[in-house]
Amino acid sequence: MFIIICLILNMVIMTSGQNPAEIKWSSILPDSISGWQKSEDKEFNGENLYAHIDGGAELYLSYGFRSLYNRTFTCPDQPDLIVEIFDMGSASNAFGVFAHTRESIDSTFGQGSQYIAGSLLFWKDHYFISLLGSPETDSSRQVLFKIARQIDDTIKHEGTLPEILTLLPSDGLIQSIVRYFHHYIWLNTYYYIADQNILHIDQNCEAMLAQYKQSEGGAALLLVIKYPAEEKAIKAERSFVDSYLPEAGKTKTIQVEDKSWVSYNRQQTILSIVFNSKSKSIANYLQIEVERKIKSTLILK
Amino acid sequence: MKKRFYTRRQFLHNTTAAAIGGALYLNLPVKANIQSGQKSRVILIRDADVLDSANKLNKNVLTGMVDQAVCALTDQTGIQSAWNQIIFPQDIVGIKTNSWTDLDTPQELESHLRMRVLECGVKENNVSINDRGLLSDKVFLNATALINTRPMRTHDWSGVGTLIKNYIMFVDKPWEYHDDSCADLASIWKLPLVRNKTRLNILVMLTPLFHGVGPHHYNAKYTWQYKGILAGFDPVAVDATGVRIIQAKRKEYFQEERPINPPPKHIFLADTRHHLGTADPNKIELIKIGWSEGIFI
Repeated sequence: MFIIICLILNMVIMTSGQNPAEIKWSSILPDSISGWQKSEDKEFNGENLYAHIDGGAELYLSYGFRSLYNRTFTCPDQPDLIVEIFDMGSASNAFGVFAHTRESIDSTFGQGSQYIAGSLLFWKDHYFISLLGSPETDSSRQVLFKIARQIDDTIKHEGTLPEILTLLPSDGLIQSIVRYFHHYIWLNTYYYIADQNILHIDQNCEAMLAQYKQSEGGAALLLVIKYPAEEKAIKAERSFVDSYLPEAGKTKTIQVEDKSWVSYNRQQTILSIVFNSKSKSIANYLQIEVERKIKSTLILK
Repeated sequence: MKKRFYTRRQFLHNTTAAAIGGALYLNLPVKANIQSGQKSRVILIRDADVLDSANKLNKNVLTGMVDQAVCALTDQTGIQSAWNQIIFPQDIVGIKTNSWTDLDTPQELESHLRMRVLECGVKENNVSINDRGLLSDKVFLNATALINTRPMRTHDWSGVGTLIKNYIMFVDKPWEYHDDSCADLASIWKLPLVRNKTRLNILVMLTPLFHGVGPHHYNAKYTWQYKGILAGFDPVAVDATGVRIIQAKRKEYFQEERPINPPPKHIFLADTRHHLGTADPNKIELIKIGWSEGIFI
């Protein structure tokens, strides 16, 4: 009986999401599948991720990367299948790194997935998963999906989306390309704003970028940042005004050189900024909606 | 020292920084401002026959493009005389290539460069082709001349993989240059192993990667047959020109402005902070040769 209880406890720990590091992917993934054979397993942490992802490790480190499990499958006359499971430490970070390049809404796998010509990406709980078989064949794609389903089924728990996403006004929102991050590098994802960290974004902040359709063409950009303390939000607001909107006085909605409107607003620890709005009314609408949502949620509590 | 910052609004004014930032970051059309002084010459040469539909490379076409580019760069009509302007018999020549698995410098290009170097009278044991092992390569350690070549591609952290970035293998701790999206890569070009040694830069634009997803970044879906090479003496000018092509392709593909992410700050700073060359389109003499369909710039 003791052994059975231990086994049950172990299963719970392995799959509950409470102890993420305990999932033993090496024993869960198959050694062979539909003609592909496991060739090697590798594990990486923050110290040696550079050695594995040549030049790209910083993207994952900027999202709180903890560890990576990698298994490669080989099959004669077929592409290698590379399975990579990133432990991002939190569901927010797993979502963030997944959404970093998301272009469409699809939840075939996990809590969101994207398949592009041999590359399957998805996230679930605090895991970001990449499966690659390139150049793709019908067989490699089928096997890739089988492995993905197994990983998806193994992760029993679903993670919670970042709370800051609840502040997004829904009208006009282009849902598929919402971005979430903690590193200022990603500030310019859609629209160049500045080459320095004028908004004081760091790992203790949560930032979100969203685009809104405009009938006049182009997209208005909504940036929302939650700071860990109000004093930091005030400092960031001052820095933004000094650097970007020095003419702002009592009015917080300004028309800039290219005739677009920029507006900013701060509610305690949350700073919201609208860029590239084709009209003052759109900028004001987005700010009012964000403020209303802040007041209607517990995000400031 | 407080770092100078550049915002979008600054780039909307008519300044030199605006010309550079407008082209690199905002994908703005190049304003034809009159410039005095010498311009950096960049050769863009394209040939529709350099690749077949399966991306198989035609070596003869490619090597002909390289020679034509060198002739145009040096204002020479003969191939040998053109190369003789760049490489001298007593030189020790390192050909810095790029071995990134999914999009490497074509071996046919490497071997052609080596052949041309030897034809300039350089001794066989005084020329070497290397990427990641160059710090233990005696030719590179003693080089008097460098030829720098690589394909252009987007990059998760520096925005784009460039000629400037290609020299990161000259340092034993490349990650020390990763700060602020690799902002100060151009400082590597001031190191003794590198400084003032580069005789030719060739940015391969045969099938550039204009977007990346996932940890391995590469996906053939985000490449296209541009069938070109860019060549120049000024790596910043060549890279900046390559970026304009990548930006234009992204706009065409995404059907909207989709800036390179993160912005290629290291090119901007290679000009404005490190003065390695110019990224200002108004200071670049762009000579276009060959196939013009889909040229973008």
